[in-house]
Amino acid sequence: MSEIIRVFIADDNRLLREGLVSMLSEQEDMSVIGTAPGGDEALRQIKNLRPEVALIDIGMPDKDGIEVTRSLHQEMPEVKVVILGMIDLTEEIMACIEAGAVGYVLKEASFEHLAETIRSVYRGESNISPQMTASLFTRIAELASQRMPKLAESSVKLTGRELEIINLIAEGLSNKEIARRLFIETQTVKNHIHNILDKLQLYNRLEAVQYARERNLLKK
Amino acid sequence: MKEYTAKIKVMLSSRPRMLSDVIRNMVTHQPDMEVVGEVIDPIELLIAVKKIPVDVVIITPVASAATPRICSQLLEEHPSLKVMTLPAEGNTAYLYQAGVHRRELDEPSEGVILAAIRSSTP
Repeated sequence: MSEIIRVFIADDNRLLREGLVSMLSEQEDMSVIGTAPGGDEALRQIKNLRPEVALIDIGMPDKDGIEVTRSLHQEMPEVKVVILGMIDLTEEIMACIEAGAVGYVLKEASFEHLAETIRSVYRGESNISPQMTASLFTRIAELASQRMPKLAESSVKLTGRELEIINLIAEGLSNKEIARRLFIETQTVKNHIHNILDKLQLYNRLEAVQYARERNLLKK
Repeated sequence: MKEYTAKIKVMLSSRPRMLSDVIRNMVTHQPDMEVVGEVIDPIELLIAVKKIPVDVVIITPVASAATPRICSQLLEEHPSLKVMTLPAEGNTAYLYQAGVHRRELDEPSEGVILAAIRSSTP
């Protein structure tokens, strides 16, 4: 292997720190160039040593891993930060990613997984422990669904005619009855409903009525 | 090379796994020590130690209030046993031996832990 990955370790647990130095140093493609027991010292040393990958414990007493990551990301974005976390807490993972971490490994993961994560972030990939992928995707889906209605409301503009048709659907009228009431063709009613569902990203007439009811768009 | 006919038998009950890997690696690299078993839950130690001859038990509790009780029970049932608790977070380790006050190892390095294991065995 030609390239040696220069790794830095910051963790307040001395046994883990020293143990990881021993084990990572046994890897042919890695070299541990420095360690620190706290966040402040880690920042000082990393600025000096310029490692390619920094393993940062999330729970250091003086300056936590998220703060250290944020500082590193601002001042030395070329340093790839992998957070070492104790628990699978989605909000914490999101905060780490937002701060600039490209990897998050639970200490419950194996050493082999940690070594593979170091290699993958060095190659420019992002990596989190497999156990955390599901909860992270669930959280992303929640955030996306929270955004969706706002997007829809801000961008959707129903015409007066479309609102009139939704009100008639809410009264229980069929397409043919709506057409008769509005003196238009049944096909025109169908076209309007198609446009309504398309605009609101809904699937059927009942959903359109529900949408209008929730936003007080129905006539009393 | 010095031959060790009777290696120090170490049993592990360590969490999180990364620390467990580190401790196992540390012990197995010693010519006079061997890991004879591993259990995930410290309570399983009580059963495992009855089945396998062990000199030293290493526990790394994440946050188990039951740990001191398990240590006491192990020493009651196996007075010759030495029990070491290593921190998953923080830096204070303890060595428990029957009839002796627990010994505190502050911010223990690998060297300090290995020396404590050796000193605690006949």
